[in-house]
Amino acid sequence: MKLGPKAAAAALITSAALALTACGGAPGANNPGAPKTTTLTLGAVRDMTSWDPAQAHVGHVLQPYQAAYDSLLLREPDGKLSPMLATAWKYNDADTQLTVDLRTDVTFSDGAKFDAEAAKANLDHFKKANGPQMAQLTAVSDVKVVDADTIELNLATPDPSLEFYLSQAAGLMGSPKALGTESIKTEPVGSGPYVMDKAATVKDSQSVFTARKDYWNKDNQKFEKLTLKILTDPTARTNALVSGQVDATLLDPKTGKQAEGAKMKLVTNQVDWQGLLLLDRDGAKNAPLKDVKVRQAINHAFDRKTILDQVLLGQGSPTSQPFGKESGAWVEELENKYPYDPAKAKALLKEAGYETGVTLEVPSVPGFETQLAVLKQQLSDVGITLNVGAAITNTFTSDVAAQKFTTMYFSLFQGEPWVAINQIVSTKALYNPFKNTTPELQAKIHAVQSGGEKADELAKEVNRYVVEQAWFAPLFRVNQMYYHNDKVTVTPQIQQAVPSIYNYSPAK
Amino acid sequence: MITFILKRLGSGIVVLFAVSILVFSLLYVSSGSIARNIVGDQATPEQVALKETELGLDQPILTRYLDWVVNALQGDLGASWFTSEPVADALATRIPVTMTMVVAAMLLISIIATLIGVAAAVKRGWVDRTVQVGAIIGDSIPGFVIGIILVTILAIQMGLFPATSTISPGAGADAWVLSLTLPVIALLINGVTGGAQQIRSAVIKQLERDYVRTLRSRGIQEREILFKHVLRSAAPAGLTVLSLQLIGMLGGVVIIEQIFALPGMGPLAVAATGQSDQPVVMGVVMYTVAVVIFVNLIVDLLNGWLNPKVRAS
Repeated sequence: MKLGPKAAAAALITSAALALTACGGAPGANNPGAPKTTTLTLGAVRDMTSWDPAQAHVGHVLQPYQAAYDSLLLREPDGKLSPMLATAWKYNDADTQLTVDLRTDVTFSDGAKFDAEAAKANLDHFKKANGPQMAQLTAVSDVKVVDADTIELNLATPDPSLEFYLSQAAGLMGSPKALGTESIKTEPVGSGPYVMDKAATVKDSQSVFTARKDYWNKDNQKFEKLTLKILTDPTARTNALVSGQVDATLLDPKTGKQAEGAKMKLVTNQVDWQGLLLLDRDGAKNAPLKDVKVRQAINHAFDRKTILDQVLLGQGSPTSQPFGKESGAWVEELENKYPYDPAKAKALLKEAGYETGVTLEVPSVPGFETQLAVLKQQLSDVGITLNVGAAITNTFTSDVAAQKFTTMYFSLFQGEPWVAINQIVSTKALYNPFKNTTPELQAKIHAVQSGGEKADELAKEVNRYVVEQAWFAPLFRVNQMYYHNDKVTVTPQIQQAVPSIYNYSPAK
Repeated sequence: MITFILKRLGSGIVVLFAVSILVFSLLYVSSGSIARNIVGDQATPEQVALKETELGLDQPILTRYLDWVVNALQGDLGASWFTSEPVADALATRIPVTMTMVVAAMLLISIIATLIGVAAAVKRGWVDRTVQVGAIIGDSIPGFVIGIILVTILAIQMGLFPATSTISPGAGADAWVLSLTLPVIALLINGVTGGAQQIRSAVIKQLERDYVRTLRSRGIQEREILFKHVLRSAAPAGLTVLSLQLIGMLGGVVIIEQIFALPGMGPLAVAATGQSDQPVVMGVVMYTVAVVIFVNLIVDLLNGWLNPKVRAS
């Protein structure tokens, strides 16, 4: 409804009267309409920019799509891949062709049938729709329809992450009739457990879904109604959760305290790591960074535990490696590879001939000012100057690519090993702007790429290399603080701050 | 009178153009990596180039600006670069929320501030001292802090109001009233205290003037002096303060809307500015400038109506 001036005046008077007499009844959240209805209301960090499945992203920008779209593969909470729209999938011996068998009993919400042609249409669309995760299908050169329920993905080069991607953005299947139209940007058309209630949905305010009748997999459809309430502000999310307006939402260590005070339950998960990226490892712009001893000295300068306790109230785990604990590339003995040891840091700097005069320039990053201030202090204790420059702006990614920063503090997603390698290690990675590499590292990366099922194990070698060479100075993995009330149970999803939509169920 | 209005509208249009050029240039400077931001971290240079062509970012700034102006003059403000939502639609759904809140707050501020200000000026003594102290306290607490305190007590602990907005399509007037009450209170406290101070001193100044003494000496009732003469002369000062507050409120409302998750202009403006979403930012800025011009015009007209001396100048 819209309010004209008269209605506004009436509303105003009524509101004043209500406020004065304090007779404003409890808001809807405390007495949800029909008692039998199972509804799920989630506090979402942001709205989707488009409901075109090719525009899906990762983590909290994947969850909403899962309401409307099924994916080819289902990623279980522990990371295992299971059948969903695909019933089986198999690589050839060279890992260059993936054959995927499809379900035959699935339709989209507009009535179109899901079959091999539909799957091909989606994958082709994803490859050219220029979405944020378009790189997920870079390795796929073409998709062939074998028969009505079988497709073949031909790969230009092996991609150890492809099966994982088919459980993510690249695997979401929309109705072939709707793909590429204007309307799918605002109203999803998939085969998923829920359909959007367009009339109740308001951009940047809430997205409302209702359970789809005759959905093929009732196990993934546990609620009759799903509402995603967009709450960008953490204070608003906290207030909405503790007052019962939403059932679950993502908070942070500080707002989490308030939620705990209100007896909300926490599911925690580690998804990102924070620390310094020592980008200029060839010393192109900052000569001392070329010396591995200098980079190791930087690593020894930090008292990770204390920083974590002070800045994030202890919500995380100190670490010296950039690969995630559940990624498969994680190596136990690297966890504390660089313990806090200022004396050793000084000795390493002396050996390298840089007792004085190492200066690191970092950009300021909104939200990490405290971290930078602490790092500056701890680095100065071993004789390294940290200059914090101007804050990053929205030209950030271009600035990184243009080698504007020789060192930077950042928080990065810890995905599957091949994903992480392409994000921070390979010469194509955005966060390797100086394109540092060695033949030794190239060989290790190549081994992962063609490693098939052993890829995770082989990625440990890449991890060892970049840790020993001190490419980064990781500080800690950060706990994601996802809180929910006792009306729902929530299973955390590996590598996601926000669980997949299938992980919620009504509390018994 | 008509000439006056036309003149003001003419200068308003000039201001709109000047601001549009300024904002467009500023956005141009920061739009260097906009295409990359849209397509994401892992995009290839080809993907970025494709997006740039699609958005017309490869065109020179003058061409882009002229395109925008020509379209805007025809009522087409374009669509968001990030969400493809037409800017006109985005504004149309959000303006009612923000304006309802701002107008409600302003009406209440005008009434309450005038009552308090006049009471303090006329009664002086303890009433005045209380108002003065209250004004300092009220002025020193930012609106968003008041908002958080109100939510904690009235929404979370007592459950009288929703903690965040429940305004949605099909929501009844009760959802609007309940959702907007706390934000309006948070918005108006600073306005009331600031406004009351100004109105108080304006009224005191008028009460000390010779004409008031003359009126009193003629035996005219205090009440009549106050409402017919003093308030009328003090009104321009009050009006100016209130108009400044309204304009300031367009900024303050941004934070309040975030805290209460109201689907108004605030979140739109913040998100669009952070992303350099040029079509949306331009739409929001043009709308805000238009409101400011309109408010100033109305205040000038009201001043002229209240005080003939102003009309001449």
